[in-house]
Amino acid sequence: MDGQRVNRRQFIKATGAGTLATGIGANIIVPGRARAAKKTLKILQWVHFVPAYDEWFNKKLAKEWGEKNDTEVIVDNIGIAGINPRATAEVSAQKGHDLFLFNWPPPTFEEQTVDMKDVYQELEKKLGKPIDLCVKSTYNPKTKKYFAFSPSFTPDPVNYRQDLFSQVGMPNGPKTWDEVRTVGAKIKKDTGHPVGVGLANEIDTAMALRTIMYAHGAHEQDANGNLTLNSKQTLETIKFVTALFKEAMTDEVFTWDASSNNRAMIAGKLSLALNAISITRTAEKQDPAISAKIQLTKALKGPVRAIGLEHVMDCYVVWKFAENIEGAKKFLVDYTTNFHDAFVAGEFYDFPCWPKTVPDITKLISNDPKAHPPDKYKVLDDVLNWATNVGYPGYANAAIDEIYSTWVLNVMFAKAASGAASPEDALKEADSQCRRIFAKWKEKKMV
Amino acid sequence: MSDLTEAARPAARAPARPGRLDFLVNRRGWLGSMMIAPAVLYILLVVGVPFFLALYYSLTDITAGSRTLHFVGLRNFSAILDSPKFLTALRNTFVFAIGSQVLVLVLATVLALALTKDFRGKWLVRLLILLPWVAPMSLGSIGWLWILDSIYSVINWTLEAVGLIRPDNWPMYLGKPYLAMMSVIGVHVWRLLPLATVILLAGLTSIPQEIHDAAQVDGASPWHHLVQITLPLVRPIMLVATLFGLVFAFTDMIVIFVLTRGGPYDTTQVLSTLAFFTGIQGGDLAEGAAIAVFLFPLLVVVAILFLRIARRTEVV
Repeated sequence: MDGQRVNRRQFIKATGAGTLATGIGANIIVPGRARAAKKTLKILQWVHFVPAYDEWFNKKLAKEWGEKNDTEVIVDNIGIAGINPRATAEVSAQKGHDLFLFNWPPPTFEEQTVDMKDVYQELEKKLGKPIDLCVKSTYNPKTKKYFAFSPSFTPDPVNYRQDLFSQVGMPNGPKTWDEVRTVGAKIKKDTGHPVGVGLANEIDTAMALRTIMYAHGAHEQDANGNLTLNSKQTLETIKFVTALFKEAMTDEVFTWDASSNNRAMIAGKLSLALNAISITRTAEKQDPAISAKIQLTKALKGPVRAIGLEHVMDCYVVWKFAENIEGAKKFLVDYTTNFHDAFVAGEFYDFPCWPKTVPDITKLISNDPKAHPPDKYKVLDDVLNWATNVGYPGYANAAIDEIYSTWVLNVMFAKAASGAASPEDALKEADSQCRRIFAKWKEKKMV
Repeated sequence: MSDLTEAARPAARAPARPGRLDFLVNRRGWLGSMMIAPAVLYILLVVGVPFFLALYYSLTDITAGSRTLHFVGLRNFSAILDSPKFLTALRNTFVFAIGSQVLVLVLATVLALALTKDFRGKWLVRLLILLPWVAPMSLGSIGWLWILDSIYSVINWTLEAVGLIRPDNWPMYLGKPYLAMMSVIGVHVWRLLPLATVILLAGLTSIPQEIHDAAQVDGASPWHHLVQITLPLVRPIMLVATLFGLVFAFTDMIVIFVLTRGGPYDTTQVLSTLAFFTGIQGGDLAEGAAIAVFLFPLLVVVAILFLRIARRTEVV
């Protein structure tokens, strides 16, 4: 072959034939090798705030469950901001994961999800009834369908600076929203540490403002899903938040994203914030000195009630187009039944919707060696009694979801607090938007 | 001798057989079309299909969770026109787009004029100017989020360190409406400046040197030279750069989504972010699509107008 040049055509022919031979050859050479027909279960969820949870879920739980059920479990984790876009894409493509975790109720996707009634029924036989918050977040009373399944939620306690509140005679923190306003103002004046309730277009603000609303007896809707935003109570709440902002907060709260209150609290800037235990857990790791100063207290009392919202509502859906619907449901039953491990692995971030799954919850949270002091999380032992859903006293429906996701209430409170609109005008504008949204989803027969 | 000559002459090759694809490759105009085909296909698939799908969705009642849809005509468009939130976003979109483009045009012209001169370190200046364009927009926006942060802003830290501001009166760049709008415009200008500068620089360097020499000989002042000779000659290029910039600005979502999410209280909400929150976060794909394509007719008119003016002002 010396001196013989290969032209382009010969080269392409040779490489193409070689590729083809390699592809076929494997099967010819090893004809007896059969492809294993193993089932797969594909799960998509967020990158958990507690890295140890993902480590446990992905490498231990998924692996062990997969081996026990002859299933290959594939877990994908994405950032929380990517969840809705990803869900929309999977629905559009009619292809994706079997189990999909939302960190909030997903009523908008009801048409694409299988009914989880059988999962709830199976678990009720084993574990009794779940908490009301769980049902309100995953059930549509109009269609009588469980569009999602919730094994857990994240509470939203009050985080406060014990050293600052002790100076004004409140070592156990405030008990009412009025105290937050009056005492918070005093602390701000004396020490320069403002209260931190967000007034921005972000999820922590959305939760905190609803907590204040519900405590004042104001609601987006009633128990039957009728819009009730335009009320005397809502107007009073707007005026309260306006006064709270002017007396005890700073303009900073208009700039916040979901992690801003965490950073501000850990940086020692705030006297109080509403947040999951992500603040305290981060402080334990990064700054033990500030960790000892930040304590927790239960939901604060307003004129009507003491109530708090869930900070995160873990809602799993199984798509109708999932390839392993039965496997997905079985996984959920097994995961929930053994939720004790998840509770510990997540460092108490996720609380059970079925109390019986963590019978020693009080013991665990009353004596956590990582906490400063060890019984810091004891205040959460009755959280199942004071945590409620977005849309309380009604269900989390598609209209409530859109109002939440387009920051209608956030903007209402922010406009009034900043003076951009009077409380009456801010309420009128928000009510008009909510009417439009409710009408739209009622026409689609989802509310 | 003749034998040597014969031996030295390379063996005559037999004429090559015609290849199977020769009739295509040798066809006049075919090669050019083949070369551009992948780009056209890419634009059709990645831009064209989603665009027409959005137009279609805007005329239906589709939601993020439904696969069934019904034609509803222009109902979504009339619904959004009734929404104060939409009207606010529409106004903000014009403020954001026009504000940022005026700044880009002025700054890019200054930079391009400077870069036509020779000076020491010119390569470094060029590199620094190009860097914002090279970095992914989302990463750049996150960087700016930290620069403008309410606690960790390096700008405020520096201003406090030199005594220009007090710790208790830090400017909240993303918390006051006018500051927030200026911030998002500023970041957008930072992002688009390299592209506009490069386009304008190309236009400036294409002006024949004889014209500059003639102007100098005639005694034109620097100002007259700039206003009556240079700028008119680069006007076509400037219009193209402005058109690109306007389209980017009218459709940009990333800067505002990362920095403010439309806040404070919707004062930086623009059509692209409102479309995302409504359609994807809120689940109403049809209304989100209507918001997203609302400005399409206007942008088409603007594009045609700019390109016609650019063509007319071209100096042949």
